[in-house]
Amino acid sequence: MSSVTPRPAARTVGNTARKLATPAPQEAPRKRTPLVVVPSAPRRKSVVFVASCFAVLAAALVGVLLLNIQLSQGQYDMVELKAQQSALTKTNQELSQEVQNFNAPQNLAAKATAMGMVPSAGQGQIDLDRSTVSGEAVAAAKDDKSKSAIIAAPAIAGQLSVVPSGTGDQPAAPVQKPQTAESKTTAQAPAVPQVPKVQLNGGTVPAPAQRTPGN
Amino acid sequence: MVRTGKTKQRGTVRRVQLRLRIGLGIMLTLLLVVGGQLVLIQGFDVGGLAEAAQAKRSRTIELPAQRGAIVDSKGTVLANSIIRYDVVIDPQQNTSKDTFLRADPKDPSQVIKVTRDQGLRDLAGLLKQDFEELKKAATGTSRYRLLAKGVKPETADAILALSVPGVVTKGTSQRVYPNGAVAGGIIGFLKDGTDGIAGIEQTQNSLLTGTPGSRSFEMGADGLVIPVAPDKITPAKNGKTVKLTLDSDLQYYAQQVIQTQVNNLGAEWGSVVVVEVKTGNIVAMADTNTPDPNNPGGVAAEDRGVRSVTAALEPGSVEKPLVAAALLEEGKSKPMEQFSIPGSYTVNGQTFEDSFGHETFNRTLAGILGWSLNTGTVMVGQRLSKQERYDWLKRFGIGEAPNVPLPGVAGGILSTPDKWDGRQEFTVLFGQGVSQSVLQTVMAYQSIANDGVMLQPRLIDGYIGEDGKEQKTPMGPSRQVVSKSTAKQTRDMLESVVTEGEWKDAAIPGYRVGAKTGTSESPCDNGRPGFCGYTASIVGMAPMDNPQYIVEVLVQRPQDKIFGIDGADIFRSVMGQVLRVNNVPPSTGKPVHLDQFGPGGSTGTGK
Repeated sequence: MSSVTPRPAARTVGNTARKLATPAPQEAPRKRTPLVVVPSAPRRKSVVFVASCFAVLAAALVGVLLLNIQLSQGQYDMVELKAQQSALTKTNQELSQEVQNFNAPQNLAAKATAMGMVPSAGQGQIDLDRSTVSGEAVAAAKDDKSKSAIIAAPAIAGQLSVVPSGTGDQPAAPVQKPQTAESKTTAQAPAVPQVPKVQLNGGTVPAPAQRTPGN
Repeated sequence: MVRTGKTKQRGTVRRVQLRLRIGLGIMLTLLLVVGGQLVLIQGFDVGGLAEAAQAKRSRTIELPAQRGAIVDSKGTVLANSIIRYDVVIDPQQNTSKDTFLRADPKDPSQVIKVTRDQGLRDLAGLLKQDFEELKKAATGTSRYRLLAKGVKPETADAILALSVPGVVTKGTSQRVYPNGAVAGGIIGFLKDGTDGIAGIEQTQNSLLTGTPGSRSFEMGADGLVIPVAPDKITPAKNGKTVKLTLDSDLQYYAQQVIQTQVNNLGAEWGSVVVVEVKTGNIVAMADTNTPDPNNPGGVAAEDRGVRSVTAALEPGSVEKPLVAAALLEEGKSKPMEQFSIPGSYTVNGQTFEDSFGHETFNRTLAGILGWSLNTGTVMVGQRLSKQERYDWLKRFGIGEAPNVPLPGVAGGILSTPDKWDGRQEFTVLFGQGVSQSVLQTVMAYQSIANDGVMLQPRLIDGYIGEDGKEQKTPMGPSRQVVSKSTAKQTRDMLESVVTEGEWKDAAIPGYRVGAKTGTSESPCDNGRPGFCGYTASIVGMAPMDNPQYIVEVLVQRPQDKIFGIDGADIFRSVMGQVLRVNNVPPSTGKPVHLDQFGPGGSTGTGK
């Protein structure tokens, strides 16, 4: 405070002329000085400003959050789809494996034998271009005496046992279940009609036991 | 009053300024610290933190290459790889928990409490193992024990759903052979599920294996891949699919037929080879006791290969038509040239007899083949010099291993003429003192069937890449062995063997067939002296108007009926099946009947 006192004397040094000429309104500028500090006006503006800042910030945060959620969700979806894909691949592999196993010549032949089929003995050829028949067609005969060697069915470890009844019977393959069920139903029927051949057209699988030469 | 107000305000301003400055100073300092730290961490990476973090996030996994399949000419899968699982347990972890939680199978959102015993009992049920033994395996302080191998995916999923502590499944690739023993020896098998050690699996191993790929990515602590981080995938190059020339149905047929025959005759083994004349494609190559590659240990070690190419045997009389072709080509005889042939013929102190006793009779060159006369063959064959005999056999591919992608391909033994002894120089004319594989005999006949042009046998038709495009294997170099007309005359003589000669059994209705049998004494194994039984074979072609297929049947050491008659039976059924399956049109033109006796008949006055 003491340092303030000498100032009025020094006033003549600075903006001398105007201030001396108008000494009366000196009080006004003095009072105005503290007005500079009044914070009320900017405060109102800053409320809006700060609010908008927060809004932007919140929006940005929410945006980032949403983006992150989206990306993560995408990842989860991808993981799930990949799992689905691999599950389908496995199923597909399993099924084609089953088909291949059924297609193996040994299994086919055993199945055919079980159904009472025999290899054809002699074939004739019909030539449509020359309208000729060559060769001698011979009816296939059931021939037990020349029992041919049986090549073992594929021994695939831990694999479906689709080995037809000719070579052995293990359960497991789902395809065999309806078959045994059907064979039960057909087993009763052929007792009356002695010619079961016609029944093949009905889509039923004949009971293997009836036609196997081994029996 | 004014003064004090003014000073008050001034003081406030100063304090505010001071506060601002201090605040600014603190903020700047903090900024400096944070910025400096940032520069230190990001710029200079003091302490390797960034690197460590990067390393912690980064994962590189190997993408295994799938082993290529082996398919036959029609695309039937003979070998492929499928996914299987190994079930592994951590006994320490399992032993430490008496109970554990499992998702309720009825309501997956609920969990149920399961005892350790119950968990292991469930596991034993799925693995079809004994509970007590499984429990013993799951108890202890070790950290790893293999419980089961090659478990199917659905079982593996069910095992994981049990949530038994310490039990994990590990995916592996298993090789399966859907056709089992059909062409089993040719396909071969793997050792430890990775490297081929027999057959095509061995010779084509590098092409079948492929190159494994890799994937580098960053993973967050939650186990999810960080989506924006670099994700580098080097795809695996799967192995190529090998497509064979075989027809698996015919292969099965041939295998069954030869197996039946060998069983019936009590022979040691037998083989059947079917080759397409115009391409050299091996359509079937059947051996007896073929291994099932799914379980190669099921047959004896000596049965696991392909005898049709690995076993070189004395061919016997099937060599005679080759000698006859050489004589025709050299202009030293003609099919209709007549010879007076004694029952026993002696040259250079060496006496030769036939498989049946006979008086001196007349036979043409065609008749010599038709009756398979050793005496006659030696009589006419000696018109070729020793070097010529050697050169001609060599030209027909004897003594030279055929280019077949199988391990242990035999080339047979054809020693040079200077090493032949007094008898061998004549016996080579009827296929003794020389050895060759069944495939070699078939390829020699192929040249006769194919107008004198000998092709290389083909077993691999092509390679199929991942894009499904097939890259055909080119045909090997061919060579003209005999002229077209010589080949034709030789074929006529072969047809006459069936129409006029001793082997009418080989005839197939509707088709003209040419064939020749061979029987040779089989030297004992393991260096024992002398002969142990016979090798009986028959090789032929059809249809003679336009030969399409060669079939050879060989039976090693049958117990009885050695002279090819039984071979003719199999030859007929295999050849018949081959022609039928491939829709070969029946023969046209008149069958050739070359006179077997010549002017004046069997006992007339010949030369």
